[in-house]
Amino acid sequence: MTDNDTSRLRLLLGRLNPLGLPLRQKIGVFGLAFLIAMPLLVSLPVVGRFVVMILPASSWELGLYNLAAALFFGMFAMSWDAVSGYTGEISFGHGLFFAVGGYTSAMLNMGHGLSPWVSVLGGVLLAAVAGVMIGVPALRIEGPYLSLVTLVAPLILLQVFIYMSDIFGGEQGLGNPENLVGLGFVSNYFLALGLFLAVFVLLWALTRSNTGSILTAIREDENAVSAAGLSTAKFKIFAFVLSGAIGGLAGAAYVHTPVGSPTPSELMSVIINVEVIIAAVLGGMGTIVGAALGGLFVAMLPDYLNLVEFTVPVIGKSISEMSFFLFAIVTLFLLNIFPGGVLRWGIALGRRATGRDGGGKEGMAADGGQSPEDAGTNPVAQTMERYQEYYDNMFGGDDK
Amino acid sequence: MSADAATDELATATTAEDVRPDDGILAVESLRKEFGGLVAVDDLSFAVQEQEILGFIGPNGAGKSTTFNCVTGTYPPTAGTVWYKGEQVTGTPPHKMVKRGMARTFQSFAPLEDRTVLKNVALSMMNDTLVTVEGLLGEFHDEARAICERVGLDDRLYQTPAELPHAGMLRLELGRALGTDPDLLLVDEPFAGLSGPEVESVSDLLLDLRDEGMTLVVVDHNMRGLLQLIDRAIVINFGSLLANGSPDEIKNNPDVQEAYLGGGLE
Repeated sequence: MTDNDTSRLRLLLGRLNPLGLPLRQKIGVFGLAFLIAMPLLVSLPVVGRFVVMILPASSWELGLYNLAAALFFGMFAMSWDAVSGYTGEISFGHGLFFAVGGYTSAMLNMGHGLSPWVSVLGGVLLAAVAGVMIGVPALRIEGPYLSLVTLVAPLILLQVFIYMSDIFGGEQGLGNPENLVGLGFVSNYFLALGLFLAVFVLLWALTRSNTGSILTAIREDENAVSAAGLSTAKFKIFAFVLSGAIGGLAGAAYVHTPVGSPTPSELMSVIINVEVIIAAVLGGMGTIVGAALGGLFVAMLPDYLNLVEFTVPVIGKSISEMSFFLFAIVTLFLLNIFPGGVLRWGIALGRRATGRDGGGKEGMAADGGQSPEDAGTNPVAQTMERYQEYYDNMFGGDDK
Repeated sequence: MSADAATDELATATTAEDVRPDDGILAVESLRKEFGGLVAVDDLSFAVQEQEILGFIGPNGAGKSTTFNCVTGTYPPTAGTVWYKGEQVTGTPPHKMVKRGMARTFQSFAPLEDRTVLKNVALSMMNDTLVTVEGLLGEFHDEARAICERVGLDDRLYQTPAELPHAGMLRLELGRALGTDPDLLLVDEPFAGLSGPEVESVSDLLLDLRDEGMTLVVVDHNMRGLLQLIDRAIVINFGSLLANGSPDEIKNNPDVQEAYLGGGLE
């Protein structure tokens, strides 16, 4: 036992040595270091100019605001991935959790005078309850039916907000609740980055532990999971509650920053719900890392497009005017080229380039314990298969 | 030696149609399963003794799999009672039955196609805890590897189920079941599609498991290979008990021969 513990410790220390990491993780660590150092880099002479150039805004201050907003969106995408990417139960209305978290926290702060640091916890708690309310029905209704439920739930909430607009502010939202860390560009950026990292580490660790492989096994075949003596119900509810709580945390913290406010269009519109799915699928469904990257990309692409001062000749419209249209087109292309997500494609490419292709050795569960090249068993294909089964049954298919 | 005595005792117990909870490690009384108007299992009673290998035989559609599914909790039975290790477990969901020590293999293999043989087996060894650091450090797969070796898959640890031959899939099914550390193993049609030597090596594995203290119930509609393996057989037809006894008794039983119309008894 002690022998086992020592070797575990040695293994852990070895894993934490950045030089011993695989290439893709080195890139990740470098990227994180860059994000952390960003506010300092802008004041340097030459590097600073370069950093300002790559930020998604015309000045570095606005760039940090936009990046902070993108980090929040990355958290939304990760929270979606934790449940839908891993268990294959697609939620079309994750905005429900962002809105419950954001509105609860805003109302506790504005109506009851609670400090935003406390009211955020209230938002997380209520969003976790919302996770139970979607997770428990998810045990009986699955696949396309569950997706319909998740699609309708935020629409109902939106109608409630509109009918009771004296309480919820209707389409306009709730105005401006108190900020967690004031209006500072740097402080708000670090708030967003800190939360982003915390959420990322939590979900990354959880999905790389046995819990992650049980969740992906549920996506693949629920019968096989219960035959292994594991309760699929327990793990599915857990995934929904976890996802709801994290989505709620992101939504709650978001409304207490200068970059976000508690309005339906920012937290629960159909566009938000769809963009979250696009972000996670585009980055790489069922990987957390992919959802985080996809979230940043999806949030920042329109910002970048807004910067382009080019007018398309024939139709006489500027690029910034059609940024959402172009965003949709780019996304559509990327989804067609990389159906398993950009991350899986990148890892596979890197493995080929560094000559560590396959070899069949037992590596660390780097991408949720799956071979990235296995096209037939990627999460999108698995989920499609899952849905196909429900449709077959709907039209009177035989039990197999 | 004691197994024979227990077998004789059991033969009287089951024919008397009143099975008691402590009649064996698994006791089933008047189990009934109806699908709409169809009676798939018709008041079936039997008991399984600890450490025996029981053959559960019947022609196609006799209700073997349905009986299995009712015992393991996949379907709730329409009526009847199931006792396992002396406890009433009727209608307990499958994952709880597995935790109590009853594992099964699937006739239509159900491995997880998205991961390697080793990870398939490792899944069945995982604890039911939600938050864990286990598996985070690249995993100590030693125990799963030992099971793979046990079932003869040690040279295929990193292949996916799709790469396995038919016999390999069966071995993987056994490996996944063994990963749950069962006391009673229900094996569904292990010999279908296996060659002679493969049947022999799987039989040897099952005999070894029994010698280590496991109880086995082997379901098959084909008696080839099965009669050499088992201590005792239960034959069912149209969902009810047709015969019960030693392999020789079963082979010479006229009712059984008729049910099979001479087929499968060579």
